[in-house]
Amino acid sequence: MKRLLKRLRALVWRRNLDVDLQDEMAFHLAMKADETGDPMAAQRQFGNLSAIKESCRELWMFTSLESWWFDLRFALRTLGRSPTVTWVAIAALALGIGANTTVFTVVSSALSFEMGVEHVERLVMITPGESVRNDPFWPSFVNFRELRAQLKSIEDLAAYRFRPVNLSDSRTFPERYSCVQMTSSAWNLVSRQALLGRHVTPGDERPDAAPVVVLSHRLWQNRYGADHGIVGKTIRIDEVPRTIVGVMPSGIQFPEDTDLWTPLTLPDIITAQQQGELLLFARLKPDIPLAAARTEVDAVARRLAPPSSKPSSGLVADVRPFLELIGVYAGRRILFAVVIAVAFVLLIVCADVANLLLARATERAREISIRVAIGAGRARIIRQLLIESVLLASAGGCGAFLVAIAGLRWFDRISSQGQRPSWVDFSMNGRAFAYLAAVSICAGILFGLAPAFQLAKVDVNSAMKDGGRGAQGGVRGNRLSALLVVFQMALCVVLLAGAGLLIHSSLNWYSAPLGFNASNIMTMRISLPEIKYPHREERISFYTRLKASLESLPGVQAVSIASALPLGGSMRWLGEVEGAPADARHAPDVGSLIVGPDYFRVLQVPLHRGRFFNALDGVTGPQVAVVNESFAAKFWPGQDALGKRFRRFPQGSNEPWFTVAGVIPDIPQTHNRPLQTSPLVYVPYASDPQGAVYVVTRTTVPPQNLFEAARRTVQALDENLPAQELTSLQSRLDRQRLNVSAFSTLFTVFAAVALLLASVGLYAVICQSISRRIQEIGIRMAVGASRRDILKLVLMQGMRHTVFGLAAGLPLAFGLTRVLRGALVGVSPGDPFTFASVVIVLMLASLLGCAVPAYRAIHVDPLVALRFE
Amino acid sequence: MGRDRKPPDGELVQGTLDMLILKTLSRGAMHGYGIAQRVQQTSEEVLRIEEGSLYPALHRLELDGMIDSEWGQSENNRRAKYYRLTAAGRKQLTKEANRWRVLMQAIARVMEAS
Repeated sequence: MKRLLKRLRALVWRRNLDVDLQDEMAFHLAMKADETGDPMAAQRQFGNLSAIKESCRELWMFTSLESWWFDLRFALRTLGRSPTVTWVAIAALALGIGANTTVFTVVSSALSFEMGVEHVERLVMITPGESVRNDPFWPSFVNFRELRAQLKSIEDLAAYRFRPVNLSDSRTFPERYSCVQMTSSAWNLVSRQALLGRHVTPGDERPDAAPVVVLSHRLWQNRYGADHGIVGKTIRIDEVPRTIVGVMPSGIQFPEDTDLWTPLTLPDIITAQQQGELLLFARLKPDIPLAAARTEVDAVARRLAPPSSKPSSGLVADVRPFLELIGVYAGRRILFAVVIAVAFVLLIVCADVANLLLARATERAREISIRVAIGAGRARIIRQLLIESVLLASAGGCGAFLVAIAGLRWFDRISSQGQRPSWVDFSMNGRAFAYLAAVSICAGILFGLAPAFQLAKVDVNSAMKDGGRGAQGGVRGNRLSALLVVFQMALCVVLLAGAGLLIHSSLNWYSAPLGFNASNIMTMRISLPEIKYPHREERISFYTRLKASLESLPGVQAVSIASALPLGGSMRWLGEVEGAPADARHAPDVGSLIVGPDYFRVLQVPLHRGRFFNALDGVTGPQVAVVNESFAAKFWPGQDALGKRFRRFPQGSNEPWFTVAGVIPDIPQTHNRPLQTSPLVYVPYASDPQGAVYVVTRTTVPPQNLFEAARRTVQALDENLPAQELTSLQSRLDRQRLNVSAFSTLFTVFAAVALLLASVGLYAVICQSISRRIQEIGIRMAVGASRRDILKLVLMQGMRHTVFGLAAGLPLAFGLTRVLRGALVGVSPGDPFTFASVVIVLMLASLLGCAVPAYRAIHVDPLVALRFE
Repeated sequence: MGRDRKPPDGELVQGTLDMLILKTLSRGAMHGYGIAQRVQQTSEEVLRIEEGSLYPALHRLELDGMIDSEWGQSENNRRAKYYRLTAAGRKQLTKEANRWRVLMQAIARVMEAS
């Protein structure tokens, strides 16, 4: 401590120190001269005066710190001396680090799951077991109570169900919101208190309690303009007046994307024995593994299952992590793929910069050997070079900051077109910044290590004699940079393969034969509240009137309804075909849709056999259905499907038989799988009139021109009924494509950057080797080698790198593209066509990279080359 | 770079230089030249302190608080830097002298054993 103070004082009085030392030495010399009588002899005996002063001064100064400062200034000067190399390196690093920071921020934000739930990783849902085909465990409210009493491995068991509701009040037009009805125990899992008022408590679940509702922050902001006096007001939810008792803080949308919460109570919402509506979730007790909970829940659920069910193998009830419910969690493999891809880009950048530095290192061998000769230690040399590369990386990091901000904006824009979880925040935060800084420094050390060790090993003698070309160091440097190029090529292959597969998928998506005409179709969702439209006749009548009103609008050709839109899913049906053995275990699994009379006409689907529905189907006469080609081919192969009969597999009750009235081509129904066709059955609306349907309208004008008129038409029929999700079918499909097109764009950008950098790397290496071999080439030409021979020589050298790169990269790509499986459309991860294209593209890029040095090599003038020194 | 330099004959055993300086200063304040002279004289010209080691050693001892320095007039009216033992330096000297004695006796016993 005292020492530090003295040294600090010396730093301030630096001139004094120098003068003192000077005086002290002068006195010594003078005394010595007095003694010997000869000042020169005194000087000689004394030895190196400045060395003594230097070593005394070092004691007082912060020499190590100062030497860092000197190294830094020297590094700045060195970088400034070759501005092209410096700027190219900084630009490449800015891109690489910036892209990494962007992806890190996006992925870490998307996977942070800020749901306002403590220990979200312990949150589980209890679901029907997937492995048993019949009699899975669909809990009723009674079951829920029994489970809550019996289960030991979990706590806070709660039941909920999603229920889209119509919200109407005196303020503005009615709208559809996503409501979650959940038991008050669910609120124990939410870690945050209400922003205004309170959340639902057990008191609200008593039979005599007044109906209440809790609003989400989003709903409160958007619909009520953050009105602080909202608590205590009454709003109508599915025609039931409810009192607002609280508003939750922003970020709480538990379980997912919830606008409002109501209590889950008996009997006005649900009956005690009603099955198939409730979802159960709970928290695992600490230190209880998922498997143990699974065993216990299955055992208890088996006892609770209705006595009619036969014992079956497999789980009746399953316990799964709650996070699986969330889309991002399911897509984490794709996010992981993006992280790998962008890390590869950065590695390629590092290899490129390392190569640039290596090339310069050969030129600097002389400078370094002088430094070594006058006494710089190896560690000092390595430090100097690492400071240079970290400085370079830091400059790249500054550029990366701008790149990351731009990248995050892009992500923000893209993702706001689709759906994204509430906790996602694509902005530059402290964590992202720390990541950027860490990556910059690590990258600097990474790409600095190669040239640093290369140069630190320089043989002083030969380097000085060699006129700076460093014969020995050069060969080793060459091998190292060749290795780096091969490494780049290998990573490039992986990125190209990923990009190729995704581009292929994207093309497949856009060119997929959908089987209908998607242009000029307006879609909206209507949900008739059960309280107001309890009978099937009322629902049929409403949609008949709506169809008539909409069709009277100018610009509207035809109107129909459907339970799901194309690529919008379908309901699962266990079917039974007449004449086939009826076995519940092997009952065929088909998708079903309920559609209005003109549905196929609106979609412009061609009819293959039989007829479409008419207005009377399902109302009177025998039940009829329209099936798709896959259905006909699966159940009546080689036969005429018309007139054949099938029905839902009877489970207890008696099910009516449907007669096939028509056959249509396949229309994909699975979300995001435009090439997947499966057996589908279309049932007339009147056979199963549901409250919630999509209304599809074929228009002669752009659909968006009719949105306002459509909304007014709906409200003219029922002023409290919202027209939701008013949009065109085309934009719905575009939104689905967004996923694959965004990922393929991303990968294409990454692969293009990688390809560019790898071929530049190859170019640099070949260039360097040509300039080193220029005399050799001159001699070869002088003794009669033709230009073709020289060309072959250069190209062979370049292609060797590429071939090695391919050999290393193809197996790697083959293994890693599996990660993309979930995002691929109509192409397998190991698609040979894509891999062949990758090889060709890489070959072409390498040829391009070799072209310039090859051109230079064949135009070497032997006379000039031989004199070149 | 001084790593592989061999110690020439007559060079002081490592660590003893500090002790010699402290011992010399225990008789009173002295400048650098005087210290070198006195060591040379008392050792009857056997020990010679080189300037290259003397001054760094003096500055290090000063930094460590073993000695203090101040500027004064020399016997022949020159400006000279005088060094003086501090309390800490005196303690250090006792410690090192003891260690030195123990070491010398041990070496002597080894050398004189038949």
